[in-house]
Amino acid sequence: MYQGRYAPERPAGAAAPYDGLAVTETSRIRNFCIIAHIDHGKSTLADRLLELTHAVSEREMREQYLDKMDLERERGITIKAQAVRLTHELGGQTYELNLIDTPGHVDFTYEVSRSLAACEGAVLLVDAAQGIEAQTLANFHLARDAGLTIVPVVNKIDLPAADVEGTRRDLAELVGCDPSEVLAVSGKTGAGVPELLEAVIRRVPPPQGRREDPLRALIFDSTFDPYRGVIAYVRVKDGVLRSHARLHAMAVDLDWEAEEVGVFAPEATPVQELGPGEVGYLVTSLKDVHLVRVGDTTPVQGRGRAREPLPGYREPKPMVWSGLFPAEGGDYTALRDALEKLKLNDAALVFEPETSSALGFGFRCGFLGLLHMDIVKERLEREFGLELIATAPNVEFHVIRGDRTIVVHNPSEMPPPGTYDRVEEPVVLATIITPAEYLGAVLELCQARRGEMMDMKYLSTTRVEVHYLLPLAEIIFDFFDQLKSRTRGYASLDYEPWGYEPADLVRVDILLHGEPVDAFSSVVHREKAYRYGRTMVERLRELIPRQLFDGAIQAAIGSRIIARETVKAKRKDVLAKCYGGDVTRKRKLLEQQKRGKERLRRVGRVDVPQEAFIAALRVDEGERR
Amino acid sequence: MSGLYVHVPFCLTRCGYCDFNAYTGLDHLRSRYVRALLREAELAGAAWPEPVETVFVGGGTPTTLAAEDLAALLVALRERYRVPPGAEVTVEANPDTVDVGKLVVLRESGATRLSMGAQSFDPTVLASLERVHGPDAVRRAMAAAREAGFEDVNLDLIYGAEGETLASWQRTLREAIALGPEHVSAYALTVEPGTPLGRAVALGLRRPPDPDLQADMFALACELLGEAGYRHYEVSNWARPGRECRHNLGYWRRRPYLGLGAGAHSFRGERRWWNVRPPEEYLRRVEAGELPIGGEERLGPEQAHLEEVLLRLRILEGVPASWAEPRAVEPLLDAGLLREQGASLVPTERGMLLLNELVLALAG
Repeated sequence: MYQGRYAPERPAGAAAPYDGLAVTETSRIRNFCIIAHIDHGKSTLADRLLELTHAVSEREMREQYLDKMDLERERGITIKAQAVRLTHELGGQTYELNLIDTPGHVDFTYEVSRSLAACEGAVLLVDAAQGIEAQTLANFHLARDAGLTIVPVVNKIDLPAADVEGTRRDLAELVGCDPSEVLAVSGKTGAGVPELLEAVIRRVPPPQGRREDPLRALIFDSTFDPYRGVIAYVRVKDGVLRSHARLHAMAVDLDWEAEEVGVFAPEATPVQELGPGEVGYLVTSLKDVHLVRVGDTTPVQGRGRAREPLPGYREPKPMVWSGLFPAEGGDYTALRDALEKLKLNDAALVFEPETSSALGFGFRCGFLGLLHMDIVKERLEREFGLELIATAPNVEFHVIRGDRTIVVHNPSEMPPPGTYDRVEEPVVLATIITPAEYLGAVLELCQARRGEMMDMKYLSTTRVEVHYLLPLAEIIFDFFDQLKSRTRGYASLDYEPWGYEPADLVRVDILLHGEPVDAFSSVVHREKAYRYGRTMVERLRELIPRQLFDGAIQAAIGSRIIARETVKAKRKDVLAKCYGGDVTRKRKLLEQQKRGKERLRRVGRVDVPQEAFIAALRVDEGERR
Repeated sequence: MSGLYVHVPFCLTRCGYCDFNAYTGLDHLRSRYVRALLREAELAGAAWPEPVETVFVGGGTPTTLAAEDLAALLVALRERYRVPPGAEVTVEANPDTVDVGKLVVLRESGATRLSMGAQSFDPTVLASLERVHGPDAVRRAMAAAREAGFEDVNLDLIYGAEGETLASWQRTLREAIALGPEHVSAYALTVEPGTPLGRAVALGLRRPPDPDLQADMFALACELLGEAGYRHYEVSNWARPGRECRHNLGYWRRRPYLGLGAGAHSFRGERRWWNVRPPEEYLRRVEAGELPIGGEERLGPEQAHLEEVLLRLRILEGVPASWAEPRAVEPLLDAGLLREQGASLVPTERGMLLLNELVLALAG
């Protein structure tokens, strides 16, 4: 037992538990998560578990209880991992079940892996009407690789279209178990849910770890509370985490105090300590979330301090980059503050200052994917009242020059052609599962997106699993929408990073009256450069108002012009009549015109309205086809 | 020196493009309205001691009033205000509402100038503008004006209506010139929100004027009217030397003016004010012995400056070069939109069409 000078006043063994939440022996703890393809009913099943274990009373119950943020509830997805303590009795014993929620979108794979690191078991949930989907496979592999015990479950057995037996067989084959071991539940009606709880208790092993060992706790998520500071979600691996213990963050080498320790039951409830295997939260009183790094280990300070950090998990790595600029130049500081606040709750968000000659001061931001980008942008606009211009998202390129690799996050940083040996782009291994009848359409789409087929296998006579290597740049925009529309919504997709591959990529610049507009530069495959250039100049010709002179809009690769349009000079802009004495109205019209002008961005000699940037940079479906 | 504007809000028909304070179907109010004008002239006259060198009776269609009413009005204004000899007294007329008899009465009661809404000599264009008169009516009215002794006649023209071509506009200009008016106003048709035309364009039922075609039409007007000896002295106005409209020049030179009638605007010093627009409300207020003022504004220095720049550029007097930032001026000189005339910056013919841009650049 820890005997340091900051030991709590009461020995842990004598601790009076708060609110009846007793310290539980590790043998009666189960840490598990639910992993599923999006829309396979994870959140609804979690609601039933909360009800069945009386964690939430009927009166308090609301749909998708764990998805706390507005944004999540609206989009029907979960982006923040949550940990809830449930208690359940079985065979006269009371068990502590910690349900670690996981997100279901491919953008947030890293959050799945961080949640898995806090669990010993995973409920693998599959919709009986949909069958195994790409994310089912991806999540299954993640969980198995993390050494978790898998509890396979068929969900939505109440649906008329449910194929319970078929799905059960497929799941058994995937997991490598007997079909009789696959449970069948309905998150909607609650059927089979008690049996699921029993299976979790019987099959998922209790956590290992001894109270006597030095404390090692894994931070698997964190959030920022304006009153309490950074709150870390922790899973104690070894030792005991006590309230007011002095702690040390290994990754950043920092000492701090645990101001409060608690569990989510499901609302935050303080406890005296968290023992080995237990999951809960930790109020740090730290103001900077970056000091409490997700994935870090938090041993106590001083003598008996653990020396070896716990193995981490896959670090979140931004895949998609975009410049965010305030529409009103004066909002730069507000944008910076807002990004910093969001970052407190979003370890995957990265940003650095960026200066654009066209858009002024802003930030180049890295996101996990387009969904993540949309969520961040929407939160900045909704929660912080900012009006933003986002540049077209791009992936991270590697420019190879001799033995040097230049990492390019921003197309405008791409060196001019001829000054490097080659460019490499990120490639992902995509798993697509589709009904066999749409296989042709899927292959056609993948080929059009510069895909390279790795293998293909029939899961049954009607379902095919295909693996493709695809450039990330080709799938982040509208690939998923295209896949869905070509398969009537039946195909599913998941992907994982594969590495970098050389590609014939070029930077296409857009020039207004001979001046390049950095915000419009894009790095695209040479074969698609012409189409990109054409689309942009045509779009801009519609969006840029006529000026006092003819304005050329050009697309160029280096010094070579590949597309050109002209905005004809404006010839007439005058109030025809100015008599009858109503000068007031004329003046007001001019004042209005003047205010409009103040919202223009000047690029060289060309005035470009704010709206033109927003519209021209909007990622739309047709553009990349 | 000051001007007096009198507004007559009655029309025989409403033209789709017109956003003036004008009404049809209020004919029963005519004589009450004339009495109210006389009453307002009394009420407002006390605070208007300066000489009135120009009078402009506009509308609407002033000539919808009976000749006797108009005559009585002109006479009363002369009695109430200090109108010196040689004053310019203009009456607006619709070709369909005048004949020699009526015009003689106007002439005898002191009108010196007639401004006629000809708009076009192309019947299809007139139909497109929803004008009820035909080209012949303009010729007849012009002859009647001369017969009644008017030596100062203006023809109003509008260009750019749907269906009008450059060739048709050329014919209209030639016809207008052939009638030998002393003054020509040529306005680019403007789609005003809140008018039937504005609504039709917003709904996509009618095409808005093509600004490039209107620019060509403007250039043609400059050319033909210039050749015919008319001097271009304001963006939309041409006159034989010495026949410029002194009343309108007063607006553009920011001289004081008093407006009488529904919705009429007035200006003096830093103050602009205007009467209530609905004729019925105007009548109620005046009949109750009140000034029918509907609103006012006090111009700040910035607003006054913007007006000054706007108006000086419109009448081709230009603004002193010292008023503007050289940085803002040079590109406009280079682009041929402004020219230097002594120490002033004056819009070129092309510049006149882009006057809004010039004003904003120079008034900064």
